[in-house]
Formats: sequence, C-alpha cells, structure tokens
Amino acid sequence: MTGDTHYDLETLAEFAEGLLDDASARGIREHLAVCDPCGEGLADLSTVRELLAAVPTPAMPLGVAMRIDQALAAERTVLIEQPVTLGVVDDDGQVVRKRAARRRWGLPVGMAAAAAVVVGSTAIAANVLLSAQGPTASGPGEGSVAAAPTKTQQRAGTAVAMFASGHNYTSKELSGPLVDYFSAAPGNYGSAEDLDSCVKRRSSQLNRRPIAVDKAQYNGNEATIMVFWKDQVRNTVQVVVVDSACKSLRKAATAAWK
Amino acid sequence: MNLPPDHPSPAAALTDADLLTRHIAGDQDAFSEIVKRHRDRMWAVALRTLGDPDEAADAVQDAFVSAYRKAESFRGEAAVTTWLHRIVVNACLDRMRRRSVRPLADDELIDVVERDSPLPDHTLERELSMEVSAALKLLPPDQRAALVLVDMMGYSVEDAAAVLGVPAGTVKSRCARGRAKLVPILSHLRNQSDLTRVSSAKGAELRDG
Repeated sequence: MTGDTHYDLETLAEFAEGLLDDASARGIREHLAVCDPCGEGLADLSTVRELLAAVPTPAMPLGVAMRIDQALAAERTVLIEQPVTLGVVDDDGQVVRKRAARRRWGLPVGMAAAAAVVVGSTAIAANVLLSAQGPTASGPGEGSVAAAPTKTQQRAGTAVAMFASGHNYTSKELSGPLVDYFSAAPGNYGSAEDLDSCVKRRSSQLNRRPIAVDKAQYNGNEATIMVFWKDQVRNTVQVVVVDSACKSLRKAATAAWK
Repeated sequence: MNLPPDHPSPAAALTDADLLTRHIAGDQDAFSEIVKRHRDRMWAVALRTLGDPDEAADAVQDAFVSAYRKAESFRGEAAVTTWLHRIVVNACLDRMRRRSVRPLADDELIDVVERDSPLPDHTLERELSMEVSAALKLLPPDQRAALVLVDMMGYSVEDAAAVLGVPAGTVKSRCARGRAKLVPILSHLRNQSDLTRVSSAKGAELRDG
C-alpha cells in the first residue's frame, strides 16, 4: 500500500487501537512514514477522541433527581404494602415476577409522595426486594390504579387521569396553565390499559404515557385532548389534540402545566 | 430487620457495596445514598448515549428503579458502579432499539427531539455538545455506547467491557469503527477550538510508535 493507495479510516482506527496483527501493523507503519494523507487520517482520529473528551459533563438537573427520588419513594411504598412472593432471577439478572406487581410510581407526584408519608415508617422485610404483589385489594380510591403491567407500562407507571368533560377547549386555554382542567380526584384515575388505541398509539410515538386524557371538544369539534409531560422541571406539558379518527386537529404544542 | 436506630452509621462513610448490603437488609436510606453518589455520572452516560434529555431522564429513572428492585441479584464480582452503569446502558440501548423499530415520524415529535440539552451556556462548549450529540446519533447504538464510555466518560476499555458485557477487543473495535465514522462528520470542528492543539503530536506519536 504505497503510492496512490491509502488505508481507510477504519483500518487506521483499528491500527491505533492495536487491533491489527503484527504484519499488518508493520505494513501500516512503513506506509505512514511516507504517506502524509494517511498520517493526517490518523491525526483526525485522534482529534475525534479529543473532541469527544472535551464535551462538558452535565450534572443531573434537579427536577430529574427529584423525580427519581419520588419514583424510589413510591417503589418503597409499594414494596412495603405487598405480601411477599419471591421472584425468579433470569439469565440477565432481571428479576422476573411470578405475578404482576402493581406499580404506584406512575401516580402524580403529590399522591405518590403522600402515600409514602403515610406508610414510610413501616419496616421493610429483607426479601421484599424480590416481592411481587398478590391480588390484594388496596386502600379506597386506589383500586382503580391497579393493572397488570406489561414491560412498557411498568416503566411508565399505570395511572392516567381520564375525563370526558365535553368541554369546548380553545387554543388559548390549551396553552395553559392546564392543571386546573386536569386535576383529577383519585376516582378519575384509570389504568393505561383502559386507554383507547389512539391514545396508546400517540403514547408509543412519544414514548411516554399521558398524564391526562379528556374526551372533549376543540374549537367546536369533537376531540380527544392528551397531555404528556414534556419537562417537569420547566413545568411544561405536550398537548396533543386529535379527532375521532386519531388525526391531529392542530400541531402538537407545548403548554404550561401550573 | 432494620438496623438498630441507636447505632446510626453515617452513610457517607460507607462503601457502595456496604450501602447495597444495607439496602437489601432493609435500610431505607442506603439506596438514596447510592443514587446521590452516582446520579450525575449516570445522567451523563444516559444523556450522551440517547442524545435527548427526556429520554435520558426516563432511562435513568427506569435504571435506578430496576437497580432498587433487583439489588439482590448483585453478586459482588463487579464494582457497584459497574453494575449500575450496566443497568443504565442497557436501559438506554433498549430505548434506542425500541425507537428504531418505531421511528418517530409524527410532527408531534419534532418538538421533543429539538429540545436543547440543559447545558451551561458557554457558547463554544454548547456548540461542541450539540455537534457531537448530533454526530453520535448517526452511529449504531453499540458503537455509540462504547464511545460514550471510553472517549467521553474516560473509562478504561476494560471497565467499558465490563459495563457492556463484551470482551475488551470488541469494545476497541466498536470504538475504532465509531471514530472512523465520526471523522468526516466532525472534521469541521477540527480547527474551531484549541481543544485539538495536541492532536498532531499525538498522531505523530502513533504513526512513529
């Protein structure tokens, strides 16, 4: 490989990582001694490493940290309340529950936190980490949250505030704040499984679960309003408005929550 | 099973492994301390691997909840940090694979994807972050994860191999292929900052080495 022939970047990168056998590495070294473009290629690879290393390391935003604390507090609550059934550890170390566990951490922040306060002083047994929930009934007003979670729902939680207000929303109203329109009593919470296919589809596109859904109107047309968290730190939500055929009635927009 | 309350041990003085043991034994504060210690690094890994703050927040939350639940599956052969990293990286890779199966095509998504990362507002750094983040998205998930751990987070190839659960040679090879792809994409940044001043010397060293 001399003269007009050059090594490609991938080969040079493998060379730099010491992945090539001795003979190939020697060949490249000899070539580099006489070939400027390949030397530049090698320098470019090194520059890429430095650029990657120079990207500043971000700290976790406070809102995300709080959200995680709340999810873990809710987790603790659930585990304390549930009778113990051992799970099974499968190949990749994941604990597979024998029965579906009810997860409470999809609840709105206030409710989950309140629940944690109520039972937070209860001791936790050694093996509850592997616990799963039996079909035990829970406190009043919470039964509607129960759902057998699929993997996705477990990740996202299960409670969604559902309404059929019939309210005729205007664009202005939907720019927020929205919390007053969608602050639900516990009885309004339903499981993610109860959502219709349109809401499920939009949820999966956005890769998150809605916090509230209202069967209502938008500018006089029958509409389903879906509200998704956009950024809890910034107190913003994503509002999706669709008609009965699940077609967007307007471009999705950001709104203030509180 | 709780620890005696009259012998409180300052959580900060304990090792990660001690904290995990206490968590398994029912100490309610032990896991919080683990989270507090490692959340920034986990956040950095997730944000860089996924390139989107919303996704990264979900992934890190999933990962910590999952670690909380399956703490007993930690057997102590690896460091707790390695174990945590593995859970976070897997949560990110799962997300990326799911996303590639269901591409985000709707107009609803544009807004979500375009959101800025919450970075310090230093123009140069910010620009670099955005350029690198955009470039990384063009790489296959495996190569991206390897580059995030080795080149961005500065972990050794061996540590990255432990996190990713593959041999060291595989990590090197993923890094090499990833870097080769990034060269043309990031070449315009080459002369943009003084970050790269040493590169020719390093290149020369490799070349002559």
